[in-house]
This record gives sequence, C-alpha cells and structure tokens, in this order.
Amino acid sequence: MNLERELQLLAAEIAWPPTPELASRVASVLASQRGVASPRGIAWRRHVALRHAPGRRPLVLAVALLLVALGAAFAVPESRGAILRFLHLGGVTIERVDQLPPAQERPLGADIGRIVSRRVAQQALGQPPLLPPLDPLPPLHLEGEDFVSLVFLDHGEPVQLSELGHTDEGIFKKLVVGATSTRFVDVDGAQGIWLTGARHVFAFPHVPPRLAGNVLIWQRGRLTLRLEGRRLTLDHALGVAHSLRRAKM
Amino acid sequence: MEGRPREERALVLAAQGGDTRAYEALVRAHQEIAFRVAYVITRNAADAEDAAQEGFFKAWRALGRFRPDEPLRPWLLRIVANEARNRRRSAGRREHLAVRAAASPGEAAPSPEEATVGADERRRLLDELERLPEQARLVLACRYLLELSEEETAAALGVRRGTVKSRSARGLARLREAHESRA
Repeated sequence: MNLERELQLLAAEIAWPPTPELASRVASVLASQRGVASPRGIAWRRHVALRHAPGRRPLVLAVALLLVALGAAFAVPESRGAILRFLHLGGVTIERVDQLPPAQERPLGADIGRIVSRRVAQQALGQPPLLPPLDPLPPLHLEGEDFVSLVFLDHGEPVQLSELGHTDEGIFKKLVVGATSTRFVDVDGAQGIWLTGARHVFAFPHVPPRLAGNVLIWQRGRLTLRLEGRRLTLDHALGVAHSLRRAKM
Repeated sequence: MEGRPREERALVLAAQGGDTRAYEALVRAHQEIAFRVAYVITRNAADAEDAAQEGFFKAWRALGRFRPDEPLRPWLLRIVANEARNRRRSAGRREHLAVRAAASPGEAAPSPEEATVGADERRRLLDELERLPEQARLVLACRYLLELSEEETAAALGVRRGTVKSRSARGLARLREAHESRA
C-alpha cells in the first residue's frame, strides 16, 4: 500500500468547512481606522519607542478594559459577518466569549480613576481631550496611564465618555457574549461600533466589574472614544459624538 | 518562490504603504489555506475563523517588518497558526474531518487508481489519521491534507524543517501500522 499516495487522494475528498469571507471584513475594519499609520509606520514607531523609551512597559499591558454583555433573549444576526468574534477599532479589540464574569450594579462614575486637570489629561492622551459643550464641565478622571473619562447628563440620563490616546494597539479589550448586537455605524464620516441590546459588564483590572449599558466606540484622529449609557440611544450617542470639541487649554 | 504570483510582491509593498485594498487582495489569496490550517489545529470552525481573522489583523500590524522578497504564505501561516494554538479549546466542541459525500452524477468519474480506495476506505484512513497523537496528526494533515510544503508546515507548527521530516516519517509509520492492523 502506498500510504502517501492514499493520503494525497484523501486530501481531495475532505469536506472542509466553508471558508469564511475574511478579506472584505479585514479590509473594512482597517479602512475604518482612519488616522492609523501604515504597517511600515507602526513598525517604525515601535522601533523608535524601544530605542528611546527603554524600561517603559508596553501600554497594552497597562490598561485592560473588559466589556461584557449579558442577555439571552436577544436577536443575533445569522451571518457571522455581521457579528465578528473579533473586532478592532482604534485601540479597541472586541472579542465574543462564551462565559461572562460576575458583575455588580454600580454607578457609571465608579472606579474611573482620580480627578485630574485638563493639562494632565492632555499629557496622558498626547493631545487635548475632546469634550462636550457643557458649562460647568464635570471633572475629568484618569485611570491607568492614559484612560481619561468624564460622566455627565445627556437628555437627562448619565453617560460616561472615555478617551484613549492610542489607536494602533489593542489597549482595550472588550468581551461580549453572542447575545449582544454589534454593528458598524457612521460617526461623522468615520466608522464606529455600536454595542447594544444587553446588559454589559465593564471592568478594569483589579476593579470589580460592573453592569453597564449601551456603548458607542469610534475614532477621531488618534483618539479612541467610548460613550456608554444605560439608556443611551444611537441617535443620542451620535449627537454627543458630533458635539465634542477639543478642550481649550 | 515557487508558485508565487508575480504581483504578490507588489501587493505586499503597497500594503506596507498602507493600501488596505492591496492587503485585502493578499488576504483573499490566502484566507482559505489560513482558515484550514487553523481548523486543523483548533478542530473547531468558529475558533478557526476567529484565529484566521485575528491572525490577518496581526499580520497587518506586523507587515512593516516583513521582507517583501520572502514568500508571504509561510509567514502568514505562522501568525494564523499561533493564533489557532492560543484558541484551541481544552475540552469539548471538537469537530472531526469528514470525507465528502459520493461524487454527484455530473462530476468526473474517479480514475482507476482512485477507485481502488473506495469511500469507506478513505473514511477509515481519515479516522485513523484523526486518532493519531497530536503531533503526528498535525504534521500529516499539514503535509498531505493541506498539501503544505515542508517550509510551510514548519512555519505553521512552529518547528524546524528537520522536525517536520522526522515527525512525518514517524507519523506515517504509525498510520501504516494502524491501517494494516485493521485491514
């Protein structure tokens, strides 16, 4: 028996699972990452960072943000192309998981770090933060090295706006279960991701996770932004996104 | 660079400059083999899909360090296979390869040589391959079912080419032994 020949013949008979259409998905997400440098630029920046910032821990390890979604009676689109197991937008990676960690009901402003000045927020983000046109402006908080947040009212409901000053690494990691609706949306001409339909769990490392609400994630320049509200609607979220302006220093 | 499309280097250079369309063309050219390599490792279609997708994102981010004169496929397969190994489930949800149903009437009739190995025989051979120890199963699946070169198999499995040769020889010996003992 020529076993190798039989294996070669067997190869033509294997019933492989259908290959998913990954190329258009990948290209769609990459094209949405406006302001992100080309691969050559990313490699160059890493080289420079390693040479000029020895000893600094990678930012990827500094902040890990988990967002998980709960809910069973939720319509999941049939196409895996509509809900990806992994999504990348700016510094955010969204991964669907099978099981969720336990979470508590806590306020939006819980565990978002110390109150900082606009100048410290700017240093953390590498540019002035984008802020809603509110007077007075609620305090800015800084968690970790470069995660700036503020909580304010929109249409009478509390929302949390968070900003991350880096877009080319998976700084955030968000875990969702299949019960969450994940869809691409247009945010002032840039692509965003709208997560809705189920309770979410939001957690920093070493901080107890909490239940949260709907979330819009998008990019503006080198900032990755995240807006969360328990009763936040997509229209209101897009309105907030459109209203943001660079802070005057 | 045997079998490498001439335009691949041009696509790689364009993608390195940030051309997502060029990268899309590269992904499309390699997505099937990448997905199947991931499937052989994870034995789960959903995990394989995730691994391949994540691998292509990581490859994009690492593309600036890729040398355009090198063959792209082993490099991509190494990244995707690493992702697949990271996602391999410890228990449950394992799927098994299967042989396609008999050819439909419209398809070409098998050659006499192919006819000597009937559908039942092929299923039996595949079952025996699936029952081999993991290292042997993976190397034989890569070399024969996926028809990867030794270099590509080494890249996908994260081992040296010499290891591919030795594991292939041992795997074939075990498979032959299992096959003949059941004959």
